[in-house]
Amino acid sequence: MRSGWWNGTWLVARRALAEGLASRSWRVVTGLMLLAGLAVVVVPRLLGEEATTYRLAVVGEAPEALTRQLDAAGRAADFQVRVLARSDAAAVEATVRDGDADVGLAGSGQGTTVYVGPDRAGPFPSIVAGAVTAGRTAQALVDAGLTPQQIATVQGTEPPRQVVVGRVDDRARAGVGFAVGIVLYIALLITGIGIATTVATEKATRVSEVLLSVLRPSQLLVGTVVGAGLLSLLQIAALAVPAGGSLLLSHRSDVPASAAPDIALAVLWFLLGLAVYAFVFAALAALVDKVTEVNGAIVPVQMLLIGAYLIAVVVTISSPTSPVSVAASLFPLTSPIVMPVRWASGLVPVWQLVASMVLAVATAVLLARFASLVYRRGVVRTGQRVKLREVLGREHAPSPGLVRPTRGQGSGRV
Amino acid sequence: MLEALQVSHRFGHRVVLDAITLRVRPGVLTGLLGPNGAGKTTLLRLLLGVIEPDAGRFMLDGEPVTALARQRWGYLPQERGLYPAMKAGDQVAYFGRLHGLDAPEATRRARELLTEVGLSDRWEDRTDRLSGGQQQRLQLASSLVHDPHVIVLDEPFAGLDPVAVADLSRTLTERVRAGRTVLLSSHQLDLVQELCEEIVMIDHGRTVLSGAVADLRSSSGSRQLRLVLVPPDQSWLSGVPGAQVVEAAADELRIALSPGTDPLSVLDAARAAGRVTDFGLDLPTLSQLFLDAAGHAVDAGERALEPETTRP
Repeated sequence: MRSGWWNGTWLVARRALAEGLASRSWRVVTGLMLLAGLAVVVVPRLLGEEATTYRLAVVGEAPEALTRQLDAAGRAADFQVRVLARSDAAAVEATVRDGDADVGLAGSGQGTTVYVGPDRAGPFPSIVAGAVTAGRTAQALVDAGLTPQQIATVQGTEPPRQVVVGRVDDRARAGVGFAVGIVLYIALLITGIGIATTVATEKATRVSEVLLSVLRPSQLLVGTVVGAGLLSLLQIAALAVPAGGSLLLSHRSDVPASAAPDIALAVLWFLLGLAVYAFVFAALAALVDKVTEVNGAIVPVQMLLIGAYLIAVVVTISSPTSPVSVAASLFPLTSPIVMPVRWASGLVPVWQLVASMVLAVATAVLLARFASLVYRRGVVRTGQRVKLREVLGREHAPSPGLVRPTRGQGSGRV
Repeated sequence: MLEALQVSHRFGHRVVLDAITLRVRPGVLTGLLGPNGAGKTTLLRLLLGVIEPDAGRFMLDGEPVTALARQRWGYLPQERGLYPAMKAGDQVAYFGRLHGLDAPEATRRARELLTEVGLSDRWEDRTDRLSGGQQQRLQLASSLVHDPHVIVLDEPFAGLDPVAVADLSRTLTERVRAGRTVLLSSHQLDLVQELCEEIVMIDHGRTVLSGAVADLRSSSGSRQLRLVLVPPDQSWLSGVPGAQVVEAAADELRIALSPGTDPLSVLDAARAAGRVTDFGLDLPTLSQLFLDAAGHAVDAGERALEPETTRP
């Protein structure tokens, strides 16, 4: 009756899905996710479109040759120059010192001085110095008797092409890993809490009693996990699709080309993480008696998630090949968060990725079996919080919810 | 016929059910009765497959009960089990789907059942917006939505007002007349003695009394004289053999008559003592039968330690 098994399971999952979709809290969180996903794309663009403006303080009017040079450089390197006129060199120096100008220029000929503010203003001081030098070189060439044609040839010499190499791309990719780590951690935690709450609510309201008279425990367990997992996947999609999609379309230079596959791999890891943690959340929640006890009951698996997340952001991002990072990215109880973060560093051999995935799947299967056992025995015991060792022992422990203390006469017969 | 045969179950070292046998015939409303803690709920949970028995078998029409067969049953648990955030109608339809109905059929049946329990205008309301009594009716609708052939109800009358008791009794009687197999449990023995045709009484996990209610009550041999005497007085009874007070309310005396005692002679003695304004002759109630039987069962068990202590 495989199809029958799946029919019942899907009914459970679909009910959980429908209830989640209708709930206000799910809609609010998903709306926020969507906004966050759009913000990742829109906000940097808004910031990026604001052109850089450098302020240059000079004595009196700036020489026309200099402003022409700077404008040309600005067009090439995407910046603008605002010239501030001051009365003398001292005033220029004071303006730069106070931070009202990025660079100051005073004197002429050999006595020319470039004042640079404390912020150094990136390449602008060099650009100004270059422009001044170029003007003086041109004057020197004229003085030396070269024809304007010869001067133009000399000045037409192109500067070498600049190419950024090395860590910049890796750093951006590590940023993707950082984002993936946070999103995975929050998504797994929210999904797990959702599953635990559903299980505890069903047990506390005794719905599970009715359900178990119709369904097998595994159907109820898997259906609940699938329903909650789908709800979280939709939220992750609200975050990842606008962000990832527009990254792919925009060809942004500051985001590495590997971001989209990294994000896709993170979604796969969410499913693996769900398989590893979700059944544990469900099993622990099956031990509670009241819904309010859920928070305490799921602390062990929450600690596991927090530990994995801390290893990922504290150790793995800064040193992805350290022994701790490698071990945590292979260990199946931490790998669902650590491995995708480490993978974004670009320093993971493919065999390690495959190995950690296989380990995660195998662990998920074992944990699902273990959790089914705990769930099956825990969910029918009501009246007080059930201890884990009570459901794992061979003997069935007494259930105060079912049997009230026997009277004196009765105990004699047992 | 639905049968539980020699069913035993224990929690830890405590025996909750000890070789209980129970038979429920189609068309005969059967009650599983006993005080709180007797093991009724455990037996029903075992019957429904919520937990597994340590020993014993469940049979339906001579075949072992399977999970597939149970899917067609209806179960009303003792504690109400409903999703608080679900719409009332969706809830009933959902349980219909779980019991194997397709979507349109489940919706159609859910409308019928909501109408039957008087909630036809509450389909769109969230379950937790309904009153306690309405939720109980919604639970009943959920357990009957798929028109089950076997209906099991655990303490269905607990907490119901008299009107709701009458409504539920009518609903169950209709199902029984239609040939359904109906088993209900209750600790309110006197409440269900008019409703159930057959009963099994259990106490401390053992059967203490079983059979047709009418036979059990009439064959006990003892009857009760109920009378209102003005002024209230019991001293005259000391001179009447075979009569014993079992209940003395504010103005009413209930007197158990031992077999062979003539009720009229007792009535004459009462009239000699004062003015009798009301009187009647009753069969013993189920709770009195239970008290008698449970006392005997305990004695028998302590004397002989026999596994079978069932009394006819």
